[in-house]
Amino acid sequence: MATGQPVATAPAGVPGPSAAAAPLPPGRRAGLRLPRRGWLPYLLVAPSVLAIAVLLGWPLVRDVMISFQQLGLAEFIQRRTVWVGFANYHDVLTDRFFWTVVARTAAFTVVNVTATLVIGMGLALLLQAVRRAVRVTLSVALVLAWAVPPITATVVFQWLFDTQFGVVNWVLTALGGDYADHSWFASGLSTFGVITLLVVWQAIPLVALTLYAATTSVSDELYEAAAIDGAGGWRRFTSVTWPSIRPMVLLLTFLSVIWDAKVFTQVYGIRQGGPNRETVTLSLYAYQQGIGSRDFGTAAAVSVLMVLLLVTVLAGYLRLMVRSVEEAQ
Amino acid sequence: MIRSRRTGLLLDALGLAVAVAIAFPVFWMASTALKPTGDILSATPQVLPWPLTLEHFRTAVTRPLFGDYLRNSLVVVSTAVVLSVLVASLAALAVARMRWRGRRAYVLLILLAQTAPLEALLIPAFLVLRDVGLLDRLPALVATYFIVTLPFTIWTLRGFVAGIPVELEEAAMTDGCTRVGAFRRVVFPLLAPGLVATSIFAFITAWNEFVFALVLMQDERHYTLPVWLSTFRTAFGTDWGGTMAASTLFTLPVLVFFLLVQRRLVTGLSAGAVKG
Repeated sequence: MATGQPVATAPAGVPGPSAAAAPLPPGRRAGLRLPRRGWLPYLLVAPSVLAIAVLLGWPLVRDVMISFQQLGLAEFIQRRTVWVGFANYHDVLTDRFFWTVVARTAAFTVVNVTATLVIGMGLALLLQAVRRAVRVTLSVALVLAWAVPPITATVVFQWLFDTQFGVVNWVLTALGGDYADHSWFASGLSTFGVITLLVVWQAIPLVALTLYAATTSVSDELYEAAAIDGAGGWRRFTSVTWPSIRPMVLLLTFLSVIWDAKVFTQVYGIRQGGPNRETVTLSLYAYQQGIGSRDFGTAAAVSVLMVLLLVTVLAGYLRLMVRSVEEAQ
Repeated sequence: MIRSRRTGLLLDALGLAVAVAIAFPVFWMASTALKPTGDILSATPQVLPWPLTLEHFRTAVTRPLFGDYLRNSLVVVSTAVVLSVLVASLAALAVARMRWRGRRAYVLLILLAQTAPLEALLIPAFLVLRDVGLLDRLPALVATYFIVTLPFTIWTLRGFVAGIPVELEEAAMTDGCTRVGAFRRVVFPLLAPGLVATSIFAFITAWNEFVFALVLMQDERHYTLPVWLSTFRTAFGTDWGGTMAASTLFTLPVLVFFLLVQRRLVTGLSAGAVKG
C-alpha cells in the first residue's frame, strides 16, 4: 500500500462482479481455439520480459550480492568490493533490535489486517442492509478515503492529531476527557495507534466495496429460503453469505498481509520511526541502515530477509492466482 | 434482505454515521485549507470554513520551486505511464489472444513482479542507479515508475482484451476486414475504455509514489510533489493552512480520476489488478 492505491487482483473464479464486468473467455473452449502464431507472441512479450529482467532482476541479484559484501561509506566512495561472507547476516540476526523490529512488524501486520478485514466485512454487510440513498452516501465516503494519496492522508492525520490545535483533542476534551495539549506522538504505542487508524482507514474501502460486490451476487431467494428454514441473522451469514465471499476474503487477506508487512510511507511520514525508534518497522529499518547509516551491506541483508519472509506469504497467494488463471483459460 | 422497519431505520442511521466518520478527514483537510489562519489556530475549531479564504492556496503555489515539483511529477509520471501502457498492450495481446509455449511461466512472472515487495529493492536500486550514473536524475524515477506500474497494467489489460469475444473479430474478418482492420474497427473501440481506466490507474499509482522519489532524488529541485508534501511540516512550521491547501491541491486530480474509474475497477476486479 505504500506505493499506491490498494486495488486487488482477484482470481477469476471468484464469484461476485457481474458477468459483463468479468472479461474472461467463455470457458475452456475459447482457450483451445486460440491460434498458434509462431514467433509473434514472443516478439510481443519481449519488451516486458526484458524490462522485468533489467529493472527488477538486476537489482534483486545485486541485492543478494551486496548482502555478502561490506559496503559502508568508504567502500561506497572508493567503489571497492569487499566480500565478507555471512557477516552481515550474522550482524543482523544477532542484533536484538532487529528481532524487536520483526516482532513489532508482525504484530502491526496482524492487528492491521484483522482490523481491516473485520471492519471491511462489517461495512460490506452494512452496505447490503441499508436503503439506497444511505448506500450511495457510504460508498462515496469510502471512495473518498480510498482515493486520498497515502502521503496526503499521513499529513492530514498529523493535523487531526496535532497536540495544540488538533480536532481530535478538541472533540475528546469537549466530550469530557482531559485531552487538552495531549501528545499522541509521545509514546511508540500511541503513535502506532494513529498509524493503525490511518492505514486501516485507507484499507477498508477496498475490502468493503469488493465484498459488497461479492454479496450482491447471492440471490435474494437464498436468504428468503434460509429465513423460511428459520435461520437467524448469524446463521444466514455463516451458511449463505460466507460461502460466497470466502475466496475473496482469502485473497484480500493475502494482499493485506503483503501490504501491511512492508508499510513505509505512513510510518515514515508520521514520525520517521520515532519517538526513540519505537515505531521503526522492517522496511524502515532497512532504509535507516542503508540510506541513513550508509551501511548498505547490512541493509541489503535485511532486504533479503524481508523478501524471504514475504515469499512465504506470497507462495500461497501465487498458488491461488495461478490456479484461477488456469481455470479461466 | 429481510429487515424490520425499526432495525432498518437504525441501520440507516448507523450507515450515515459511519459515512460521516469516514469522510471526515478529507472534509477537514479541505475545510482547514479554506479557513483564515486565525480560525485554524483556535481553541474552538469551527466546523465550516467561514469566512472563506484562498490565501493558503496562494501561499502553497507561490512557495519556491513549486513549479519545478509540479513539472517533475507530471513529466516523470506521464512518461512512465505511456511507456508502461505501450509495452503492456503488446504483452496483453500475446497472453489473451495467442497460444504459445511458456505462456504459463510468463503469467507467473507477471504475478511475481506484481506482488514483489518493491520497498525491499530500495537499497540495490539506489546502488544500481549510482553505478549507471542515474542517481538523482529524473530518468531514474521514470524507469522506477515504469516497472512499478508495468505488471498490473499487463494484468489488467489482459483481462480487458480477453473480455472481447474472438467471435467479433472473426465476424469482421468474414465480412472482409483484414486482421489489422478487424483490430482497428472492432477490438480497439471495445478496448478503449479499459485502456483509459488502466492508464488512469497507473497514473495515480505513480503520482502517489513516495518512497523511491524520497531516496533516489537528492537535489531539492528534483523532488516530486509527494516528497515536497512530506517536507511541509518542517518547512512550514505550524502553517497548517498552507499544508492542507497543498494536500488538497495534490489530492484533487487523483480524486477526480479516481471517481471516473472507481466503478470499473471495483466491478471489473476479476479482470485485473492494481497493486499497492
